[in-house]
Amino acid sequence: MRGSALEYDMTTSASATPASAAVIQVRDLVKKYDIKLALNGVSFDVRAGEILGLLGPNGAGKSTSMKILTSYVSATSGQVTVDGMSLADHPVAIRAMLGYLPESTPLYHDMVVYDYLMYVGEMRGFDGATCKRRLAEVAATVGIRDVIGMTIGTLSKGYKQRVGLAQALLHNPKILILDEPTSGLDPNQIVEIRNLIRELGKNHTVILSSHNLSEVRQICDRIVIIHRGAVVADGTVDELEGKVANTHRLVVSMAPAAGAQAEQVRLGLAAIPGVRSAVLSHHSSLPVEADTYELEATTDIRPEIARWAQSAGHGLVELRRKSMDLESIFQQLTHDA
Amino acid sequence: MKPIWTLARREMAATFDSPIAYIAATVFLVATGLLFFFGLGGGDDYFTAREATLRPLFDFAPWVLAVILPAVTMRLIAEEKKSGTLELLVTMPVTDLQIVLGKLLGGIGFLVVALALTLVFPALVLSIGQPDLGAIAGGYIGLFLVGTAFLSLGVMTSTWTHNQIVAFIVGLLLCVFFWTATDALLKTLFEQPPPALQLLNFQTQFSDFAKGVLDLRSVLYFVSVTAVAVVASTYSLQSRHWK
Repeated sequence: MRGSALEYDMTTSASATPASAAVIQVRDLVKKYDIKLALNGVSFDVRAGEILGLLGPNGAGKSTSMKILTSYVSATSGQVTVDGMSLADHPVAIRAMLGYLPESTPLYHDMVVYDYLMYVGEMRGFDGATCKRRLAEVAATVGIRDVIGMTIGTLSKGYKQRVGLAQALLHNPKILILDEPTSGLDPNQIVEIRNLIRELGKNHTVILSSHNLSEVRQICDRIVIIHRGAVVADGTVDELEGKVANTHRLVVSMAPAAGAQAEQVRLGLAAIPGVRSAVLSHHSSLPVEADTYELEATTDIRPEIARWAQSAGHGLVELRRKSMDLESIFQQLTHDA
Repeated sequence: MKPIWTLARREMAATFDSPIAYIAATVFLVATGLLFFFGLGGGDDYFTAREATLRPLFDFAPWVLAVILPAVTMRLIAEEKKSGTLELLVTMPVTDLQIVLGKLLGGIGFLVVALALTLVFPALVLSIGQPDLGAIAGGYIGLFLVGTAFLSLGVMTSTWTHNQIVAFIVGLLLCVFFWTATDALLKTLFEQPPPALQLLNFQTQFSDFAKGVLDLRSVLYFVSVTAVAVVASTYSLQSRHWK
């Protein structure tokens, strides 16, 4: 048992999978909890050496996907293949390749950091000497050497997160699965953990989940957006932004001409060639009595709008283009229609 | 095997890190000590019996074990469920059966320590007379087997809930039920309980051990009860997959 685990570690850490090949293939995952459908046909690939971000609002199915990947729970249907092995057939062998940090970082709060990591190492089949060597290396990597003799319960949230990362890294796994690794941390701790994950991404395939857009933009090579148990987008940040580049969102604030109703103005805006949709977003009385409309157009038609407003006698208060960044894409894709 | 030992060692350390182990061990020693020296009324006590025997100890120790062992096992899985550490444990390269066996072995570690503490009683009896050593050895083997069966029932109830108190109460009820209530239940249900069903009672199976009779059927009985509880615990852990 001990020997095989060590041999396994050595073979898995010397990544045999060619770069860009899918190390994890997720196909048509469905997960039902009683009557709730948590995942409804989720499919995506994770390529060797990349940092993949699973992005989505709370309850979208990110954690469920990760729990299935780590074989904590089973999918109702669908397949997961890791390094060519079926998860259903080889759950223990696949778990040996994974390092996992669940959401909320569950740890034994009454244990000393050192004892806890030795325990994790032994559970993963290491002998004492190997365990101590790996413990020293990992403690240096995640920056917990100063607290190695402390009880876990007394540590700050940031250090607990590092201990959680240390246990996930101890066996030098090929794949790291991190569920909301920065949630609950203060801004400085968030920056530190993000930098750490970026460093880890150089030697490991990483899947992390987050509902924080700037985080996945900063850390991840590729993003899979999950919403209501389904993948709604999959690609690099550039690809995702490119997808919606031909949609222009414009914000128009207009003081209506005397006697004109907001609805009349909206219909007028919607009639301008190139406008896909026009929505009255809010009425503002300060500093000028004006209504604000959000438009979606096929091209940038700001000059046409200005000309129309002038001809119709409306007072143009503001006219700007809303940038279609990742945030807008996310909102657009996960908008509850 | 290694994960089982690692887990058992951690559970032993965690048990003796918490006050429960010391309270349980103290309760066990004091209760068995009192019962040993003074009996439960009715029969002769240690001072009047004028007999070098440990029968009073073996008669009453299982009652005490039925109360304290569920207190030791209640946290084994329930605490991991509540704190979320179970998610890390079951996603390590270990099987659910190894987890249950490791936890049970940790509990057995406590049982062995608790039983070892009572060796003061046979030492006392040996110093004043010539007791039947076979009966003493048989009694301790019986206590170990019945204690292990209680522990396995306790581990099983600990897999059923997040709440340690619930695990304790249900575990206690199960242990008391198997120790004694099966007998009462059978007597209520049948005028002449079928002998086969009477054998389900822990007390019936245990009584021979205290007499120094090592009946292989009784050994097999307690081993079987433990095995069934271990399998049930493993299924209970695995139920997360289809919930």
